[in-house]
Amino acid sequence: MRLRDWELLAGSNTVHGLFGMIWPHSIEIGAFAAVAILAAVLIAAVSLFAKSAAGRRRADEKFRGLLESAPDAMVIVNSAGEIVLINSQTEKVFGYPRRELLGKNMDILVPHRFRDLHSRHRNGYFTEPRVRAMGVGLELFGVRKNGDEFPVEISLSPLTTEEGVLVSSSIRDITDRKRFETALREKNLELENANRAKDTFLASMSHELRTPLNAILGFTSTLLMKLPGPLTPDQEKQLQTVRSSGRHLLSIINDLLDLARIESGRVEISEEEVHCGDAVAAVVDFIRIAAEEKGITVVVDVPDEIVVRTDARALHQILLNLANNAVKFTAAGSVTFRVRTTERPEGRVTGFSGIEFSVIDTGIGIRPEDQTRIFQAFSQVDSSHKRSYGGAGLGLHVSRRLAEILGGSITFDSEVGKGSTFRLTLPRR
Amino acid sequence: MSARILIIEDNEAAMDLMVYLLHTSGYRTFSAENGAEGLRLAKQELPDLIVCDINLPEMDGLEVLWLLKENSGARSIPIVAVTALAMVGDRERLLRAGFDGYISKPIDPEIFVAQMEALLRSARPNFGK
Repeated sequence: MRLRDWELLAGSNTVHGLFGMIWPHSIEIGAFAAVAILAAVLIAAVSLFAKSAAGRRRADEKFRGLLESAPDAMVIVNSAGEIVLINSQTEKVFGYPRRELLGKNMDILVPHRFRDLHSRHRNGYFTEPRVRAMGVGLELFGVRKNGDEFPVEISLSPLTTEEGVLVSSSIRDITDRKRFETALREKNLELENANRAKDTFLASMSHELRTPLNAILGFTSTLLMKLPGPLTPDQEKQLQTVRSSGRHLLSIINDLLDLARIESGRVEISEEEVHCGDAVAAVVDFIRIAAEEKGITVVVDVPDEIVVRTDARALHQILLNLANNAVKFTAAGSVTFRVRTTERPEGRVTGFSGIEFSVIDTGIGIRPEDQTRIFQAFSQVDSSHKRSYGGAGLGLHVSRRLAEILGGSITFDSEVGKGSTFRLTLPRR
Repeated sequence: MSARILIIEDNEAAMDLMVYLLHTSGYRTFSAENGAEGLRLAKQELPDLIVCDINLPEMDGLEVLWLLKENSGARSIPIVAVTALAMVGDRERLLRAGFDGYISKPIDPEIFVAQMEALLRSARPNFGK
């Protein structure tokens, strides 16, 4: 048999539409259609054999074997829409025993709300069972005996038999695939949001870094342009060093931002003995001027000789972030740095034996509804604060990530109007 | 008569720097540290050029731009964005929004005044004559 013959005989096509609902949706129809076409080809081939009685019996057997071997539910209906033949997959998919389906109108398998539409489509199909363009992006549903609806993919082939034209529907339950697709879509959305947050952060970071450099480089230049007055050769030379270093810094910032776009950084940790008193003193040095300007008292309460084995740079960065926040969000009062050792509770195997760094402020505090969000990346709790408090809202996120990398954790207590206490706890080694 | 330039900028150091550069070149300046004040001064003084930061408290530079363009008196004053928003795409975005110029921070003091002059000349061909 030549290709042309069986194409004509089988009139194989795949039409999505009999089962109703129309939604844009793209699916792996190729393979599915191929199976349907193959089925139609075999059906057609079998019908060619059905010339003699013996041939017909053999053909019937082959036909049933073929139906049973199909991976999908196969439902063959006559022009009145009555079910003539099904395979056992149909019983499984729709939950009906065979005897409850044979002779019934196939609308039984279609959700109620689509039945009108479905009959119209079916009649239309029988009037003109020709090859139609397959509807791209159609979403169809079947209904099980227990009333559950489920998404399906259907392909149809008209069969010309001695009893008249029948239509073979091959029905695939695509519930699982839909679920995966939904999960995938949600995942993609999450990723998109994360990427957007990252871009916002990078833009904000770029802005925050450039703003002070604008003044540093700008006024260094005005001095070098001798706008305020002449310079001694030494002054000029030193100012040039300031400017070139500033420009270097700017180029590093630009490189860093580029890099951050490409890579989600990996933090290298190298542990060493760190005197807690020294670590706190270094941080206090950084924030003392800012605190003094606001009239905030800085209190240091660190017992001598507490040593922690950790990454000094990471510890410094965490403490500096906590300290900067404390000063930033405190208008009056004090910021206290405290270090204590903590013991695992007696007789317990769980719990933490470590070193606790506390940064205690008398600032604005954090509203209960904002407390779950403060460690999220790139967000200060109230974006209207952004200008008055500055910063990219990254400090706590980075600090918590760093603390985790160091084997520790950050916790906090806060009361609106009273202040906040942030605690970094590191394991004692 | 020297040109009059309105600067809308919330960062004090950036403001000082631009005011200093323009004063030493003989320009008159008006300073506004937020968008509302900037709009008020723009309508009242009708300066020859407006320099506007973008990340401003409450009303940002884009809103300032839109509101200026709605004002019949101030509509034709050229307005240049001077901003630390200097990521890829920011220049295009701001020029498309309707700014007549874009200068990223850190500004270059050696050419800043020349940049202002160029903007004034392109907006007012008879300027200085």
